[in-house]
Amino acid sequence: MIMSEPILEMKNISKRFGSVVALDDVSLTVYPGEIRGLIGENGSGKSTISSIAAGMQKANEGQMIFKNKEWNPESMIDALTGGIGMVVQESGTIAGITVAENIFLAELKLFKNKFGLVDKKKLYEEAGKVLQEIGIKNVKASDLMGSLDFQERKLVEIAKVMMKKPDILVIDETSTALSHDGRTLMYGLIKRLKRENKSVIFISHDLEEITTVCDTLTVLRDGKLIRTFEKEEFDDDLIRTSMIGRELQGDYYRTDFEATSQEEVALEGKNINYGDKLKNVNISLHKGEIVGIGGLSTCGMHYLGEALFGALELDGGQVITESGKEIKSCHNAVSQKIGYVSKDRDTKSLCLEASIKDNIAVAGMNIFKNNAGMITEKNEKDYVQKQVNNLSIKCSDMNQLVSQLSGGNKQKVVFGKWIGCDSEILILDCPTRGVDIGVKQAMYQLMIKLKKQGKAILMISEELPELLGMSDRVLIMKDGEITKEFNRSKDLSEADVIGYMI
Amino acid sequence: MSKLKKFKNTQMLIATLPLVALIALFFIFCGVIQTYGYRLDIYLQIVFNEAVVLAVVATGAIFIYTLGTFDISLGASTLFAATLGVTVYNKTESLALMILVLFATGIACSLFNSVLASVFNIPAFVTTVAMMSVLSAIASQIITTDGGALGGISIPSSVVEPYSGIGFKAMLLIIYIAVCFYVFQLTKTGRRMKFIGGNPLCASLTGIKANKYTIIAFTMAGIGVGLGAFLTLTYTPSVTTQTASSIGMNIFIAIVFGGMPISGGPRSKIYAALVGGFSYMLLNDILEIVIDSSAAYGITQVISALFFMAVVYITSMNYRTQALPR
Amino acid sequence: MKKRFAKLISLALVGVMSAGVLAGCGNSNDTASAAKDGVKIGVLVADVSGEEALGFRNYYEEYIQNNYDVTFEYTDALESAEDEKAAIEKFASKGYDAIISLSSSDRAQQIETCEEYGVYYAIASGVLDDEQYEQYKGYEHFVGQIGPSNETEFEAGKAMGEYYKEQGISTVAIYGAFIPNPMHVYRAAGIIAGLGDTYGGTDDMNGMIGQIFGDQAVDPSKIEGDVEVVAYLQGYGDTTTDELNAAIQKAPEAFLSVGMATTFFAQTLAQNDIQFADIDSFTEMNLDSMTNGTLTYLAGKYSSSIGPVFALVMNAVNGNVIRDNDGNAVSLSQGYLVATDVDSFNEYYVTDNGDTPIFDKESLDTIIGDAVTYDDVKALVESK
Repeated sequence: MIMSEPILEMKNISKRFGSVVALDDVSLTVYPGEIRGLIGENGSGKSTISSIAAGMQKANEGQMIFKNKEWNPESMIDALTGGIGMVVQESGTIAGITVAENIFLAELKLFKNKFGLVDKKKLYEEAGKVLQEIGIKNVKASDLMGSLDFQERKLVEIAKVMMKKPDILVIDETSTALSHDGRTLMYGLIKRLKRENKSVIFISHDLEEITTVCDTLTVLRDGKLIRTFEKEEFDDDLIRTSMIGRELQGDYYRTDFEATSQEEVALEGKNINYGDKLKNVNISLHKGEIVGIGGLSTCGMHYLGEALFGALELDGGQVITESGKEIKSCHNAVSQKIGYVSKDRDTKSLCLEASIKDNIAVAGMNIFKNNAGMITEKNEKDYVQKQVNNLSIKCSDMNQLVSQLSGGNKQKVVFGKWIGCDSEILILDCPTRGVDIGVKQAMYQLMIKLKKQGKAILMISEELPELLGMSDRVLIMKDGEITKEFNRSKDLSEADVIGYMI
Repeated sequence: MSKLKKFKNTQMLIATLPLVALIALFFIFCGVIQTYGYRLDIYLQIVFNEAVVLAVVATGAIFIYTLGTFDISLGASTLFAATLGVTVYNKTESLALMILVLFATGIACSLFNSVLASVFNIPAFVTTVAMMSVLSAIASQIITTDGGALGGISIPSSVVEPYSGIGFKAMLLIIYIAVCFYVFQLTKTGRRMKFIGGNPLCASLTGIKANKYTIIAFTMAGIGVGLGAFLTLTYTPSVTTQTASSIGMNIFIAIVFGGMPISGGPRSKIYAALVGGFSYMLLNDILEIVIDSSAAYGITQVISALFFMAVVYITSMNYRTQALPR
Repeated sequence: MKKRFAKLISLALVGVMSAGVLAGCGNSNDTASAAKDGVKIGVLVADVSGEEALGFRNYYEEYIQNNYDVTFEYTDALESAEDEKAAIEKFASKGYDAIISLSSSDRAQQIETCEEYGVYYAIASGVLDDEQYEQYKGYEHFVGQIGPSNETEFEAGKAMGEYYKEQGISTVAIYGAFIPNPMHVYRAAGIIAGLGDTYGGTDDMNGMIGQIFGDQAVDPSKIEGDVEVVAYLQGYGDTTTDELNAAIQKAPEAFLSVGMATTFFAQTLAQNDIQFADIDSFTEMNLDSMTNGTLTYLAGKYSSSIGPVFALVMNAVNGNVIRDNDGNAVSLSQGYLVATDVDSFNEYYVTDNGDTPIFDKESLDTIIGDAVTYDDVKALVESK
């Protein structure tokens, strides 16, 4: 399509971590003005190859040519100065200092006045310009980084990279952290870069997003380049198949379009108040029902999940189960057979340094303890093995540490923990975040199965397609309040819903 | 998956290293004693007596360390319990009452720490720092006031004589370790403690009440303190201001030598203190015999410090190798 | 990863193999090393760095060891009763013949442990309190005790206090060293009594020391009398720097110490031109302080004052366990010698230095032997 000189050529790149081959002889060429998508399951090597280009790590073999010169950046800062900037998947900012200081972290000396002190006023002014430049409005340069939410931090990071006007911007899985308006902002940026004949390498799990945004799409699997698609070749099924190396069998979302549930209310929240995060929220969840909650990431829906699980000290209102028990603590919630999957999986839902066995078993000990109340190795193993099998958790064995698993398998462990102990109510906050497509499908099918078993599921999500694809009812939240309720229907579209979110 | 297999093998090997080290040290120790022509039977008793108190108190401490916190007042608690025990014996001449006081004091000190910590939400180690000073100050006050010119307080050695045999002490040790093993390994309590140590936030969101387990952990440690104080008295029926003073720090070393991460969590092992405590004492005695202490004071400490760092390096190796970027 | 794995295995193997080798060679050798050469005496010490302790050690390890067929082994600094007991057991296991104790955490227990293992035991540079002596004087392996009694310590402090009162001094600072260490408590009480002051309303020895043990320090507000105690400090030298400076600010006419003052404070006191007194030993460092510094009074022991104890032990090991006229373990008190100027200091120092200690081979030989009696020992100790 664009037949100019390539701006970046990566030739025969290989990268090994010990005996693990992360990249195996991958070649990648990027042209000016091109928006190149990289897609692949976890561990496919898409982050590795881009991080090599951006100076985060070095390849074991291969050659890179950038702007007709040999390209061997020593560090990310080196690469950014040279013209390749990367917004990383994990947060790269420092919480204890201001936004402005984060943005100019490496260049604070530019702001030193004659006394050798940093001129705060000038610093904030400059940082303010940088933020404005890319259209960030609700973050002030003088804000403390720690006071920002995940999305705002991400945006600051983008601003920090954009300030250097890179020739190639690498965006690694950033959109999962962004809500609708954050994404809009980011897509705008990408378009602008394209107009300026700059290039973007865009890494995502999200097939729909990546096919919309990108011009060309490269699929990686197990460290190998599988295929590069041009825009006109884009075909969801074909891309999916090359990503997972086999055809995706069976359904993805629910195939029925009936809102169904049982009569009994499993869990009810009445007049829930929590600071300005939740204002008089009333919600009920029936057995055999999937209720979806959507909104911007700041709308309070994540707090609602915690509130219903008893993890917050409410300012008002109460949470009551079917049997009339009030949920006042997580301990109450768990004993009332409620399970909670946090959006923040690694810090809130898993003990990373523990094994799969430990993580799954910890919630189910009351089920597999023997008559004397003892926890025996055999019972425990049987219990955990059942979950590992049912959920097809990919692992060497159940004693493997959770930290060594991919995102999708980690999430399966969390599910195993709550399903194993017969949770009747599941509160799932962004259950498919950072999970690849194969696992996503498995999760959706699992939810359908659980619904059929009469379990009540509350799914909080920032991804509209899955909310619409899975929920019997979708509740939309804005500024701590529920603004709209939709019943499941074939005609319901994202456009119908978005208006109530912003 | 071959890297995983290797990783697992390494992990297995690292897990057995402390035990291998203990066995190796034991043979080296026996060899050294034989070479020098010393009496092995007496020397083994010395090592046992030195290590048993440490092993008992440190095994109790493992519950606390498992939660990811630590308690540096355990040495002072042992001193304090022994002081009160001796005082009560001298007032009442009742051995049963003395033993009761030893355990009650150990548990009370420990509980006080944990309640302070959980009620006021202060990190437990902060309260234990304060407790350490307070307890040793009170104990010193009692010892110097009552002990006067003797510099210490004591009970008649005939009182504890029947309990000073190695066999009896070994039995107490085994019973205590067995109880700890049961709680730690075979009950929900132990599992939950490890989980809290691994990720307190996740534990809370799994419905585990951290406060409850903090209190249980400190209680178990308190029992260890009581038993440790009793074993101290069966060895030397007197208490001076420096009694058990080395225990506070040695707990830390014993646990590390036993192959448990000092940060606690799921890799905590209940037998770490037993293995580590005996290894450490064996190592010390070997160095003491082999190296002429008059050559340079503290040379044995320097060597055991180097050994300590080597152990920390090896036990932490598997966590570093697992840090594979994606 | 592979390399590391191999490394670990080799490490473990080396450990096990060396264990085997050592254990093996031990078995084949054990008859050779069991052969006895000379008398072996273990020395229990709590202080390994003080002037007095170093003087004692030097005397045993250099002079005595060169002149007699004996080997001394010193312990590391013993902190507690458990340490002492373990140290004795280790000596017993090594086949040592006797133990001389300079450590006092729990002497009763030391005696009992030695009795249990059949090792001769003697106390140097101090004595048991009366009640304890009564209890243990009949023990078979308790050879005896030679050193200053608690009363002697009190008297030594008292003499120091009196000396300065006679000099007409009206303000002093007192350093209590390691109170509640009993030796230091008695000395401190003595100093207060010697100054003509009372402590908590009494100048009776037992009344004073009881209160000081209870206070775990000397409380200057409880001191009343003509000579004012303007400052009091205790503890290790490095922990008392601020207190020392505060004391100097009060400009006392003399700084009276119950021990270790030269080690800790000599330099600062000299800089501020404050005279000081100490109870220590006749050592080079103290001589230097008296010659060039501000040390004006030293009550000291000979470094060789622990010679007669060695003689008692030596006799016992060789089969002559000396008992006093009532058939009990020997108990003799040694007093202090006082130097108030360089000349008198030199007299003691030179005569007790290096190769010519006061208790030299010649004098010790008179109390080592099969025919030596209690009276011989008593006569020699009291003659010096």
